[in-house]
Amino acid sequence: MVTAFQNTQVLLLAAVLLAACLAKLTVREQAAGAPDHVHGVPVPAGLARLTALRRNRGMTVGLGLGEGVLGLALLVTSHLSVRLATTMAFAAAAWVVGELRVRRPDAGCGCFGGLSAKRVGRRSVLRAVLFTGAGVASLGAPLTGVDVLRDVQVQVGLVFTVELALFAALSPELSELLERCRASADPPCERRRSPIAETYATLHRSAAWAEHENLIASAVPLDVWREGCWRFVVYPARVDGRDAEIVFAVSTAAHDRPVRAAVVVSAPV
Amino acid sequence: MPSTHCDLRRHRRAAVFGAGSGAGFAGAGRPLRVVSGVVLDASPHLLMLNAGGTEIRLAMSGATKVWHGGRGNLAALRPGRPVIARPGKDGPAVERIWVGIERVAGTILACGKDAAEVDMGPHRGRAHVVIPPDVLQRVLVRHPRMEPGYLIDVICVGSPDGPRAVRPGTSQPGYRADDLAAPEVTAPVPGVLRGTATWFGDAGGEAPAGAAYPAVDSEGAAGGCADAPSGCVPFPYLSVGSEVTVHNECGGRAATVPVVECGCTAARFCDRCVDCAASPRGRIVELTPAVFAGLGGDLEAGCFNAAVRVEGPW
Repeated sequence: MVTAFQNTQVLLLAAVLLAACLAKLTVREQAAGAPDHVHGVPVPAGLARLTALRRNRGMTVGLGLGEGVLGLALLVTSHLSVRLATTMAFAAAAWVVGELRVRRPDAGCGCFGGLSAKRVGRRSVLRAVLFTGAGVASLGAPLTGVDVLRDVQVQVGLVFTVELALFAALSPELSELLERCRASADPPCERRRSPIAETYATLHRSAAWAEHENLIASAVPLDVWREGCWRFVVYPARVDGRDAEIVFAVSTAAHDRPVRAAVVVSAPV
Repeated sequence: MPSTHCDLRRHRRAAVFGAGSGAGFAGAGRPLRVVSGVVLDASPHLLMLNAGGTEIRLAMSGATKVWHGGRGNLAALRPGRPVIARPGKDGPAVERIWVGIERVAGTILACGKDAAEVDMGPHRGRAHVVIPPDVLQRVLVRHPRMEPGYLIDVICVGSPDGPRAVRPGTSQPGYRADDLAAPEVTAPVPGVLRGTATWFGDAGGEAPAGAAYPAVDSEGAAGGCADAPSGCVPFPYLSVGSEVTVHNECGGRAATVPVVECGCTAARFCDRCVDCAASPRGRIVELTPAVFAGLGGDLEAGCFNAAVRVEGPW
């Protein structure tokens, strides 16, 4: 039973390291992930430099590759040096995450690349400590990760499932991942951020624009504003020798944006 | 003929979509006619105000309540002081008068033993709030984290040294100002937003009567701020000049008011009002003091449970 538990830790650590490697290489942190000013309150320069170093893309890729190498090594070899390196890496990670939680509560740990952009919580610290414990337990495991996978015992499967569930429960990154999956769906048009350039591009491609373009007296709009699903663009115009306004309403939807137009002949004062 | 920015945009919008019917809130009462101005003279029976250059005379009675940093009396109605006067439900006599009332809400930048520096957002600048020791005890009950980066909301009274805190406006949200949990990107926008309505500014403020709305678009001439947080309610984007109908769910009154400012600061507050029952989370609108009082809100209480309907053709 003890040996099965030890073997499971090898598999778990390999899976976690490979997942962290994959996340670091594929999910980038957003530029505004850790501001150097929090509402006018400057972050101390030393801590800001440390955070900048951690957010450096080259450093993230390097760490990710290192984790990937360790994860693969755990799968293919049972050499003690690999297990020791893994345990020390997790112990160092636990220390860093604990320090970040105390000193930079506004910055994420970056453990899983851009998925770990939110502030470090107790769960992240506990997770790193537990992985360090798993690393210590794996030191005496006789099998490599691949050997464990070749002949999966019931106890190994059971312990591995429980540990994965615990890992998921202690990972704030999971909700971020789900949110990103959901965010790939279109937001409602009332709430969707619609850049002004997109509005002009939609307007200039529309039939309403083609119909009224020749009436427009100036390329500079009189007013541009938004209400819910529509952005209004008003141009001065001349209709039958009289001053007028052309009001375009451009949808802010993600796709198939309709454009409406109306001519206001007696321009309001 | 449309004359104001709001009228102009309504006129142009109606040209495309037709005039909206303005659904409003069924059964809601009309707002009270609140007057704000500067005291010219006061006697036990008459209050004379300068309201934007117009002299206004208001009847007072023995039942008129005066607030000036707490319960006040006629002595507080000194010439030159800004006041907000609300008539009673049953007659023309003034029922409530708030003298020199102000509000400071925003992010704490620095906090000393008897003062705090507050960032009230890009439109309102910074404020230095004096917090006397006896008031600090009351403020700390509802604002346990008086630290830079956390939110503060206090009702103040004007003084030569600037706003002097009198009592906490609402309870402090437990998160740092930059750690707001926004709704999901794909969350649908409800037809009626429900949450808490507060007020902003001061009794002598120059902002036109209306509302500060948390989700004002930042593109074009809409009037919003580019870095405003999204708030904790799925708001539809609007612009300065758009119209919203605000219903006081505790007092039963409703009014349609224009959006006059971007409520970037309100968007940071994901709090509740417990004026009559616990409201859903989210500061969905900030009103100018006269509008807030006209809808039956008590300025010193700070909030009321509100429902907001966006007036538009969609």
